[in-house]
Amino acid sequence: MPFRAESGTRSRVDWSFVAAVAGLALLGSLALLSAASPLPHYTQVIQRQLTAILVGGMFFAIGVGFNYQVFQDQSKFIYAIILALLVAVLFVGTLSRGQRSWFHAGFFSFQPSELARIGLILALSNFLDRQARKARDLSTVLYALAIAGPVIALILKQPDLSSTVSFFPIIICMLFCAGVEVWHLLALFGYGTVIMATPVFYTMLQVRYPMAAHNSLPYLLLEVSRMGVGTVVALLLIVASGLAAWRVSMWMRWQIKPALFVGLAAILCAGLVTGNLVNKQIKGYQRNRLVAFLAPQSDIQGASYNVHQAQIAIGSGGFWGKGLFAGTQSQLGFLPERHTDFIFAVVGEEMGFVGATLILGLYLVMIWRIVIAGRCARDRFGFLVCCGIAAMLSFSLIVNLGMCLGLMPVMGIPLPLISYGGSSLVITLGALGIVGNIYARRYSLL
Amino acid sequence: MMLGGGTLIERLNILWIVVYLAGGLLGLRLVQLQIIQRVEYQQLAERNRTQIIYQTAPRGRIYDRKGVPLASNKPAFSLIYLPSKGQKDSDLEFLAQKLARELKRDPEELLASLQQAAHEESAIRLAENLPPQAMFRLSELKTIYPGVDLVVEARRYYPFGRFASHLLGYMGKMDAKSWRNLKTKGYRVDSRIGKIGLESTFESELRGRDGGLRMEVDAQGRLRRVLERMPWSAGSNIHLTLDAAVQKAADDGLRASSSNKGAVVAIDPRSGAILALAAAPSFDPNAFLSSDPAEAKVAVAEIDEFNRAISGAYPPGSTFKIVVGAAGLNEGRFTTQDSVFCPGYLEYGRDIFLCWDHKGHKRMTWFPGLTNSCDVYFYRMGLKTGGALIEKYARMFGFGAETKVALRGERRGNLFGPQGRAKSGRSWYDGDTINQSIGQGEMLVTPMQMAMFAAAMGNRGTLWRPHYIDRIVYTEGRAEYKQQPERLGQVALKPEVWQDLQEAMRLVISSGTGYSARIPGLEMAGKTGTAQNSSGPDHAWFIAFAAKPGEPSAAAVAVLVENGGHGSSAAAPIARAVIMAAYGMSDKKPEKPAAPAGADVNSALLRMGRGATPGVSPGVR
Repeated sequence: MPFRAESGTRSRVDWSFVAAVAGLALLGSLALLSAASPLPHYTQVIQRQLTAILVGGMFFAIGVGFNYQVFQDQSKFIYAIILALLVAVLFVGTLSRGQRSWFHAGFFSFQPSELARIGLILALSNFLDRQARKARDLSTVLYALAIAGPVIALILKQPDLSSTVSFFPIIICMLFCAGVEVWHLLALFGYGTVIMATPVFYTMLQVRYPMAAHNSLPYLLLEVSRMGVGTVVALLLIVASGLAAWRVSMWMRWQIKPALFVGLAAILCAGLVTGNLVNKQIKGYQRNRLVAFLAPQSDIQGASYNVHQAQIAIGSGGFWGKGLFAGTQSQLGFLPERHTDFIFAVVGEEMGFVGATLILGLYLVMIWRIVIAGRCARDRFGFLVCCGIAAMLSFSLIVNLGMCLGLMPVMGIPLPLISYGGSSLVITLGALGIVGNIYARRYSLL
Repeated sequence: MMLGGGTLIERLNILWIVVYLAGGLLGLRLVQLQIIQRVEYQQLAERNRTQIIYQTAPRGRIYDRKGVPLASNKPAFSLIYLPSKGQKDSDLEFLAQKLARELKRDPEELLASLQQAAHEESAIRLAENLPPQAMFRLSELKTIYPGVDLVVEARRYYPFGRFASHLLGYMGKMDAKSWRNLKTKGYRVDSRIGKIGLESTFESELRGRDGGLRMEVDAQGRLRRVLERMPWSAGSNIHLTLDAAVQKAADDGLRASSSNKGAVVAIDPRSGAILALAAAPSFDPNAFLSSDPAEAKVAVAEIDEFNRAISGAYPPGSTFKIVVGAAGLNEGRFTTQDSVFCPGYLEYGRDIFLCWDHKGHKRMTWFPGLTNSCDVYFYRMGLKTGGALIEKYARMFGFGAETKVALRGERRGNLFGPQGRAKSGRSWYDGDTINQSIGQGEMLVTPMQMAMFAAAMGNRGTLWRPHYIDRIVYTEGRAEYKQQPERLGQVALKPEVWQDLQEAMRLVISSGTGYSARIPGLEMAGKTGTAQNSSGPDHAWFIAFAAKPGEPSAAAVAVLVENGGHGSSAAAPIARAVIMAAYGMSDKKPEKPAAPAGADVNSALLRMGRGATPGVSPGVR
């Protein structure tokens, strides 16, 4: 493959990647400097950010120089550590907003689920690398899920729904890039989609038909969510229609494998049941976020307030922005969570279209360089690690910006490198350091 | 590479393309928000961070002739609530509880007024006269609950309270019709406008241009800084010819009267300038602007807008005898020496007309006739003069016509005489002339006409148009307006007739029925009247003019106390206090009046068969 990077004369360090990362960290710090200025603990925020930048830069440098293959050798150990941390946080973590997802120890605090994401990427990469010959077996998918399962379950136990959700695209992308059977992936994807779609569908029905009469269609559909007779009827209906479709295909001589019908029906049924369970677990504020996304005009002051204010902030920024520290939406507190989840709105308001597209562009450059690093990685493990990290960052980017721009429901997923969060910054920079090393070791042993 | 022939890299490329496309979509959305819809969002952001608080400009002040403020302004904060359509009751309950805590009021009561506002879909003031420190705390509510709003206002304030109320008017809420007319002229739905009197007549002069504060607020509704001050400009000041002391004497006198109904008008005979214009029952215009909504509601419900001084028409009673004298003496129908014997009644045709003093006044000529207000004397003189002449002179003195004072609702009264009777196609009888001679029958006059008549007596015949504006000082653009006296007419009588009339009126004060109005140091002339009417006890009249010796008269007054009884006891003391105030004299208790007891009750008409006049039918006495 004729990559320029493989020509041998080029630098071992991908300077455009480093520049993109440094640019993002710099822009993020600038935005934070402004966004956090009205906060009472402003100095503390700045101190932490500076420390995180220094420590993270160190981690990045170490990561670039440290042989990533050690992570493959020690992946079982890493997996054990993250499981231990996730278990520990359930006992000694600090309870905040009903979640036990943070360790607090004086100046230092961190969220183990951040580390768990990287750890799982490494562990899965190791597993999928070893499974390379049997990649197309269904067992690969199932084993991979079995590895991810405990991590996800522990995070769900915190309970941190948005972190949990962020694992699925990573797993699916890694499986996809590991070369598993597309049908298996589609089944998994379909299963996940049904699980996600079920609560959304119920919520939409409740919003659209709040006064549904008995025996009306919306009422009967909502009856399915109550895990009673309605659910059983729905499952039987799915099975029956699967059976009928199979009979029809036989009769029409379409030559379709019966496994398709069985699989489809099984995915639908399993998805529906799991979706119902998830629907029962959804908390009020999460339901409100869904409502806010499905019907944003229903209550401007309520759950959709955040998204609405973020859009006002971004839109009012115009082309050049209002200038740092001069954004009215952020400085006067109309924009909630402005230094964490909604920091992109601050960028959009104060740095305008120029700043916002710069962030988006740098992000895309960074992901592109990770993809390049993956493409020219010397081994399958490195390739998969890059896939996982690229997927992780892409997902965060799309979901976070989509949320700020009103294209996606609020999921509480921060924008790595930009949103405030010391441990997140350090861990992300460390992970990017691994990518740098994968690139550096693309064609030779050090 | 050990990646299985590149297929895995192709898969990664597919993912990368998806991310790329998603990134492009996000970029497009940025273009849409930040470039295409930029202006719209900038407006939204601006609306977020700024709040405009309107400030009702102070209205023009109203001063009396000596510069005493009669109407000024006080600053006040008001919390208002503008209900929106489809408000949920639960929202209102929550709001009521929240507000009750802030305002320290009963939540049930607040909820009731909120619900009422929502039901009537009209703005209400939840609280007025709030202290400034409450304002920022309450402005938070505005950001949470659309409809709750704080306004700073210059509130109208009347320092004297219940004072010249019908002349000044009051400030009230707009009705639907006024709102339709005024909403294009800078009025807001909760603006108040002048009602009745000066406040209404000079609304456009008195009203200032509202100002406001454009403030930057944070998400909690706290004020950060004032971005812009839109200064208000106050309304134009109006200086009246009114004299606060005279007005006060008039108002106090009416309020102390037995019926608390009536009117006082005091005029400067030299120019027609109104010194006092009082009508009772009066009202306190401050009550309409009370911070307690219940109190304001009571005020609106109880107000008597009827201005008796210009809209009330009453029989003039004995005060009209002066007109009879003017007509007869000037036309030479009788002289001051013509004498009449008064046995206490007059037998005319089949009718008997009584004198108010049933014992009779014995021999009467002009001076004792008017001084004692002998009815029989005037029956005779009236018959000598004739109804047509009396009617002519009454018209010359302005009766039966508007005085053209600049107030809404003035009535003309009714001119009683053969000519008026002929218009309605009926005949005039001598019995009517007899009634006419003592100011009964169908004759109706307003207190304003009476004051003009008294002034004309004082200045020997000049009919000035009554006016209360001295000057209007415009705040911007226009030169000061100065009211000039306007002559409506001149009653030309022979000088000796003026002498006889004025002398007789002076005798009324010094030794007649008007003795109780006597003021040492002033040459005072007047006439009492006790007018019979169909609506109850007699109306008490008193008209007078006064002058310092050797000077022209500077004050004329007409007092009416509705159903007050005798003019000498009910009306004359009020006139006395008013004249004294007009001459700046201290109000010592008058000496014990030695006036003839009972004073002058007008004739009672004994009907014996046909021939009597229709119309007012006085009771038998």
